[in-house]
Amino acid sequence: MLDYLASLAVFAGLYALLGLGLNLVWGLGGMVNLGLAGFFAIGAYASALSALHLALPLPAAALFAMVLAAAAGALLAVVTARLRGDYLAIVTLGFAEVIQLIASNEIWLTNGTDGLSAIPAPGRGVLSPLGFDLASAAIVWTVTILVAAALGRLAAAPYGRVLRAIREDEMVARVAGKNVLAFKISAFAAGAAVMGLAGSLFAAYDGYVAPDSFDVLVTLLVVLALTAGGVGRMQGALVGAVLVVALTEGTRFLGLLLPGLSALQVASLRQGAIGLFLLLLLRLRPQGLLPERLRVHPIDSEEAKT
Amino acid sequence: MGSTIPRRAALAGALAVPFLARTGLAAAPIPLGAINPLTGAGGAYGPSMAKVAKALTTRINGAGGVLGRPIALDVEDSETNPTVAVEAAHKLIDVNKVVAIVGTWASACTTAVAPLCWQSHTMLFCVSGADSITKLPHHGYIIRTQPNTHLQSGRAAEFLLQKGAKRVFGLSAQTPFAVDSWNRLKEVLAGGGASGLGDIIYDPKQISFRSEIGKALDAKPDTLFLNSYAPDLEILLRETYQAGFNGKRFTFAYAATDAVLKALPASVTNGLWSFAPSPNVGSPAYGAVQAILGVNDPDPYSCQVYDHVSLVALAIGKAGVASGLAIHDNVRKISQGAGEKVSDPVAGLRLLASGKEINYEGASGPCDFTPLGDIISCKFLFQVAENQRNKTLFIS
Amino acid sequence: MIDAFLQALVNGALAGAVLALPALGFNTVYAVLRFPNFAIASLATVGAYAGWVANAVFAWPAASSLVVAFVVAGAAGAASDALALRKLRPLGAITAAIGSVALDLLLQNAIRFGFGNNPRGYDLPVFRNWQVAGIGIGPQEAEDAGLALVAMAALFLLLRFTRIGKTMRAVADNAPLAESKGIDPVRVAWVANFVGFGLAGIGGMLVALDTSLDPLTGFRVLLSIFAAAVVGGLGSIPGALAGAFVVGIGEELSTLVLAPTYRTAIGFLAILLVLSLRPRGLLGERAY
Repeated sequence: MLDYLASLAVFAGLYALLGLGLNLVWGLGGMVNLGLAGFFAIGAYASALSALHLALPLPAAALFAMVLAAAAGALLAVVTARLRGDYLAIVTLGFAEVIQLIASNEIWLTNGTDGLSAIPAPGRGVLSPLGFDLASAAIVWTVTILVAAALGRLAAAPYGRVLRAIREDEMVARVAGKNVLAFKISAFAAGAAVMGLAGSLFAAYDGYVAPDSFDVLVTLLVVLALTAGGVGRMQGALVGAVLVVALTEGTRFLGLLLPGLSALQVASLRQGAIGLFLLLLLRLRPQGLLPERLRVHPIDSEEAKT
Repeated sequence: MGSTIPRRAALAGALAVPFLARTGLAAAPIPLGAINPLTGAGGAYGPSMAKVAKALTTRINGAGGVLGRPIALDVEDSETNPTVAVEAAHKLIDVNKVVAIVGTWASACTTAVAPLCWQSHTMLFCVSGADSITKLPHHGYIIRTQPNTHLQSGRAAEFLLQKGAKRVFGLSAQTPFAVDSWNRLKEVLAGGGASGLGDIIYDPKQISFRSEIGKALDAKPDTLFLNSYAPDLEILLRETYQAGFNGKRFTFAYAATDAVLKALPASVTNGLWSFAPSPNVGSPAYGAVQAILGVNDPDPYSCQVYDHVSLVALAIGKAGVASGLAIHDNVRKISQGAGEKVSDPVAGLRLLASGKEINYEGASGPCDFTPLGDIISCKFLFQVAENQRNKTLFIS
Repeated sequence: MIDAFLQALVNGALAGAVLALPALGFNTVYAVLRFPNFAIASLATVGAYAGWVANAVFAWPAASSLVVAFVVAGAAGAASDALALRKLRPLGAITAAIGSVALDLLLQNAIRFGFGNNPRGYDLPVFRNWQVAGIGIGPQEAEDAGLALVAMAALFLLLRFTRIGKTMRAVADNAPLAESKGIDPVRVAWVANFVGFGLAGIGGMLVALDTSLDPLTGFRVLLSIFAAAVVGGLGSIPGALAGAFVVGIGEELSTLVLAPTYRTAIGFLAILLVLSLRPRGLLGERAY
């Protein structure tokens, strides 16, 4: 039982990390990003390949993953900088699909649909399965909390304020002299880097990556996590991730409640439940469970006098 | 079908329902795992494989189990998808703590699962053919009862030469053995004066292959080698027919299933050759599989799974200890060598208990393995499609 | 070489005709409701399965099965929008778009629940291609293209000459003005969704007729549908037609230089190109 809970903790941490990255781009920056799975994939493959072919240890492989994902994020941002919301949604979704296509077909690089196995990780084969899961959960959550703290600082700092200003009204921000394009690109790249980091940790933990793991379902789960936990505040990603794992694991028991169904039918109920939950959440609480606290600056307050 | 980030198996021991035959034995069960293609491209075979594993386990348990302990078998569906197979393996190894995993079918699934097995000292028995599998650093934790790609493609090429093929073009689904099988085929064809013109590797998730077929037919082959699974074979057969190809087509028997033959008109499928490793027809173990499945011609994979379970039981019986390491150390001691020949695992267990040596001869063949885990040789069955059914040509 | 090029052009034109249907549906819905509805993917699949049930289970011929596809997909689309998305639209196009992605997942899994993942085939004969001056043309593909053109013509007639068509165009041009003139937005939404998703349903069945049918049939062409809609101009109905041919032919031509599996990546590239150079698409964003 403990082993199972430990592995759930690992996945919750990964979802949280992905959510933090998405929060930076979308929550703070206001840029819709449905291409999350693509950056996740780039990070996972970069890390796996460098570990397998260059024998890089995990920290170095993770760094490599982050750099590559950030580069891809910056590139995509440059191309899509001026697009408005619904176009951005379509384009980022298309980006993720193209990444999946490349992963499936460039066999020389990614081993195609057969995937890459035997990805090394610290402690695998040395620790017991339980020990490995517990250690992985500790590593993932340490990283996640550090990233959450860092992004929280960033959000409170001038950088974050400018991003929020851009989100609310780009024109005003530009008039105020801010290089809107540079801010958008940096936010996109930073968010992508965090997603790439999550990919690297995922590849190491699971020991196996294949194009199948990086489909639109992952993106939807993270969007669900953010919507549930609260877009904008960094803690929202953490809360939302735990809720999402509770949902995906809780629905597993549907199979026990409805014994007449085949395994595939139970699986489709579970996936469908994810869609249903997101719809319900959007209806009931589009701002999430931890809505962002807007900071009000009354002109004659004590703050303004200093 | 997309999958979420793979989820570790939920059900802790209390909730899990592994298949446990009613035996009345109170001793701690020996956990055994099976990962079979119950759905997906291999879905024609998974259910029979699972049925055979369950039936044999029940029988062994009914006769007193192994070392006085019942075998607790848990069958998981790989969905013929390596990502899903990895999830299943995590569950079996980490939660059930199985001593062995049997019956992995697709080479991609076996390749993905193998590192988890050798790293955790869990024995893996597979029915996959890719050469690369036994070349992995498995330290003796893989046994396969299926002839490898090298052996299979060589026999396939000999058959094509016999049938007069001169210009062969290949269309292969992405698998770990696509490149190896083409290279071996080409090599043997060249030795017989024919030529392998080229091979196109395609993504089996596509639903149309017109461009690939166009390129293949541009080379003007007289024979197409379709290295496919059943769903893509169906599309390939239809689209090559539409494109006007009238030559010979050759594929693996696991793709040319009854379902595929029935889905297309006879005019499209007539003349399709296919082949598969032949089981040990006539042996008592083969008879047992016939009885379990209630058919005269059980598929080779179900026969192999029968042997997997037998080998696990007999190796543990010989070792006196139930663990992956024990199976690893003892499997060849009961499958080959100078011992008394047995085909029935229950009889074999009795002989072992009385201190005798045995040599298991199985339903799929003599079950003699090289140090790397391959079988030494086997027979093949060749068949042709006629009026929406497969007709056996010969076995050799 | 010229032969391969001509063959790709022909294949592309035939594919474009079929792609035009879901693209038209998508743009019709966008023109009236002003948000991209991603559920078009699974609604195209719904139509394909409805047609399959009619054809393979009840042995109806292809033409009447297509009508079934239209009606079932249209009804499912209109109903699911009313139930799931109507209340989300006031919250903004992005929220509605995300809602539609969630809806798409829900519908796709409903199909999977009922029909499983195994590919299905329609009960139709297999013919050799016609050979016309060295170019191969599949009779099934040609018939599909013909049926698509008929459906498109019907749509144009509807929009041009019927009262409800004019109402839809009025709403597409200027929704607040139309509402102030007494046009009921809910009713128009129902019609736009029914027609739009009905067309997607026919498109889905035509795609499946040509290849095979499984719960992901519509999802596979989603990127191409977007590309056609964006290239032609989001919300433009003639634009969807133009965009579909551009994308269809572009995808086929790409197979001459790229691996065939990257066909859908062309759609993505087309979107990027158009949005960078001519964001309003070939025919602008006016509906008609």
